Formats: sequence, C-alpha cells, structure tokens
Amino acid sequence: MIPILGLAIGVVLGLLLDPSVPIGLQPYLPIAVVAALDAVFGGIRARFDGIFDAKVFVISFVSNVVVAALIVFLGDQLGVGAQLSTAVVVVLGIRIFGNAAAIRRHLFRA
Amino acid sequence: MSAAAPGRPRSLGASLLDQVLAETVDPAYAQAAAARAARTVPPGGDGSRLRRSRGQLLVALTLLIAGLLASVTYRQAAAGEQGREQARQALRDDIAEQSGTADDLTAQLEELTARVTSTREGALAASVAGQGALERLTAAEQAAALVAVSGPGLRIELDNAAPSAESDPVGGSAEVAGAGLVQDGDLQLVVNALWASGAEAISINGQRIGATTAIRQAGQAILVDLRPVNTPYEVSAIGDPQRLQNEFVDTPEATAVAKLTVDYGVVFTVARSDDLELPAGSGAELRFAEPLDPAAATGQVPVDGATGTTGTDPTTGG
Repeated sequence: MIPILGLAIGVVLGLLLDPSVPIGLQPYLPIAVVAALDAVFGGIRARFDGIFDAKVFVISFVSNVVVAALIVFLGDQLGVGAQLSTAVVVVLGIRIFGNAAAIRRHLFRA
Repeated sequence: MSAAAPGRPRSLGASLLDQVLAETVDPAYAQAAAARAARTVPPGGDGSRLRRSRGQLLVALTLLIAGLLASVTYRQAAAGEQGREQARQALRDDIAEQSGTADDLTAQLEELTARVTSTREGALAASVAGQGALERLTAAEQAAALVAVSGPGLRIELDNAAPSAESDPVGGSAEVAGAGLVQDGDLQLVVNALWASGAEAISINGQRIGATTAIRQAGQAILVDLRPVNTPYEVSAIGDPQRLQNEFVDTPEATAVAKLTVDYGVVFTVARSDDLELPAGSGAELRFAEPLDPAAATGQVPVDGATGTTGTDPTTGG
C-alpha cells in the first residue's frame, strides 16, 4: 500500500510543482521513464512470483535509469543516439511486455 | 534460460532474442530469494520486521521518484508540443499580418502614384513648355513599361512536357520529368527573341517585363520580377503581328526552343492576337544613381518611344 501511495504522491508532486529540468538532461527523460517502467514492472512480477526484494528493486531501478540514459548519452556523443535509443526502447519494451504478460497470468490465471 | 537444446547450433541473433524474451525479470531477484532461503535465520524475527518496513519505505521512495520522473517527462512533452504549436501559430500570424501590410502598402502606392500623375498632368498642361515635357514624360514612361498598354501582337505559350503515358506516377523516373520542364533560360530566350523581333511591350503571365526585370529560377519555381509564375507560361508581346511573327520564328532563340519541343515534348505555341492588354510594370528604382540636375535629367529622357524600347534589352537589334 505504501509503495503505491509513494507513486501517487510522486505523480501529483511532479504535476503540481512542475520542476524545471536542466536543458542538457531533457533528451534523456523519456528513455529514463521507459527504464523506470521496466524496473517497476519487473518488481511487480517478482512480487507475484514471491521473490521480491527491496534492495534488488531499488538497485535495479536506479541502475536501469542511469544506464539507459548513459547509453543514449554515449550514442549522442558518437552520433548514433537515435539508433541506440531505439535499441534501448526495443529491449526494454519487450521486457515490459513480457512482465506485463506474466503479471496478467498471475492476476487472471489466464 | 535459453530455449535452445544443448548441442544444437543457434545463430547469435536468435540466441540474443531468446535471452531478451526469456529474461524479462531481473535474475537478481531469484538470486536474492535463493540467498534468503539459504539463510539459517528463520523469518518473522524482530530484525526481519525492521528490515521489511525499511524495505517498504525504500520501495515507496523509489516509486515516488518514478512517479516524479514520469509526470515531469509528461509535462515536458506536453510543453514542448504546446511551444511548437505556439511558434507555428505565431509564424502564421506574422505571415498573414505582413502580407496584409504589403497589400495595404501596394494599394496606397497605386493611389498615390495615380494622384501624383494627375497632379503632374494638371500642373504641366498649364504651360506650353510643360506640355512638351509631359509628352516626353509619357513617351519615357511607355518605354520604361510604367503604363498599362494594349494592342495587337503575339501570344506565345510555353508549358512543361506532359508526363509520358507509360511513366509510373509513383516510381516514375525524375530525369524525364526534369528534362521536360521549362527553365528560366527558355523564357529568357523567348523574351530576348521577341525584343529582337521588334516587340514594344512584353509580359509573362501578367507580369510586365521592364528594363531591369529579371527572369530567374528559384528551385522549381520561375520568378518574374521576383514574383513566382506558374505553368502554362503565357508570353504576350505587343507589336506589328505580321512582322513580329515572321522575325520571331526566324530567330535562333525560337529555333532552340522549338528543338526542345521535338526533343523533350515541351509545349511551345505561337499565335497572333488582335487585342492584348499588358499591365503596368514596376519601374526600375534608382538606389545608388542620383540625377545631377533635375532639369537636365528631364531633358535627357529620349523623346522617341521606340528608341527607349530597343534600349531595354542588350540582345536587341542583333
């Protein structure tokens, strides 16, 4: 219950406060969000599988976000930023889809 | 985690896909669970409860950051879209406003020019010397393509080649289409040939050709007097129709353009017309040259209208 409350508070805070993001970080926000989504769906699935661990979740979340942003940043420096962000989105998208399917199987038994 | 049977060779791409598809959940979870199970301390103890609530708090904090990240990104994307739309709208407004201003100024210019002309005529007509000056002025204006004129002449039509029947409209080769397009040079040839054949006034699609009027290409569009004109290009020339036609057809320029018709299918027709109306052109502005003495400047205006006309093009008289 508390984690869901945290998520809701975060969303509301972000919408209300509308904090300004440094212009240099802005291109990496969407990819960071996709990475965060992957970590969150992974965590939910682990919870349903009964193997959830808070430490693993926090570490996987932070590293996912940072690594995804870093990969795209590196790609931007090398001139392949668009292709690398596509690669990141494809891989994370497949994982999110797989986790969502597993969660669905747990919830609806189908 | 790989679905491949041991010993069976699999391509790198397939195994990579297998791994991505199979390992949707972080293997660290399984490892942590195994480590927990291996620990001898039974669950439910005091330390475990403390760890659990601390873990929940950590997870809540992480999710708070996740929510913040998501909503901030959403706001950024929405603001960016809004900003782009605003910028587009502002540009559209600017264009409409500036076009309106330009139209207003053009109308104002026409009105003021008409007023200047009538005032000048009224002032000059009062004296004999003024009447002489007025006559010279009228001749000069006619020669400089500053007044609308009408009369018999030639009507020449130039148009791009029709797309060939077997050309595919989607994947058709652009080369054939490019060769069949009328270029600015073709129009220049026709106009020069018309001047050489004794035309007194020429216009292209209602744009009067004056002494300094440029016919040039900007990308795909042809500009006459810096204004775009569209196909079919209709070149109207006022002059003795019989003489114009005879001499024009004989010019090397007309022959060159006629060759385009044979080679590339460019449409090129010449027809006599009894009544052509040509609008006034925009006069040549003197940006740097200043008359030394206004009286002397008026005296230097050529009296003969025909002389002025032939002076408008370098190729004339050849």
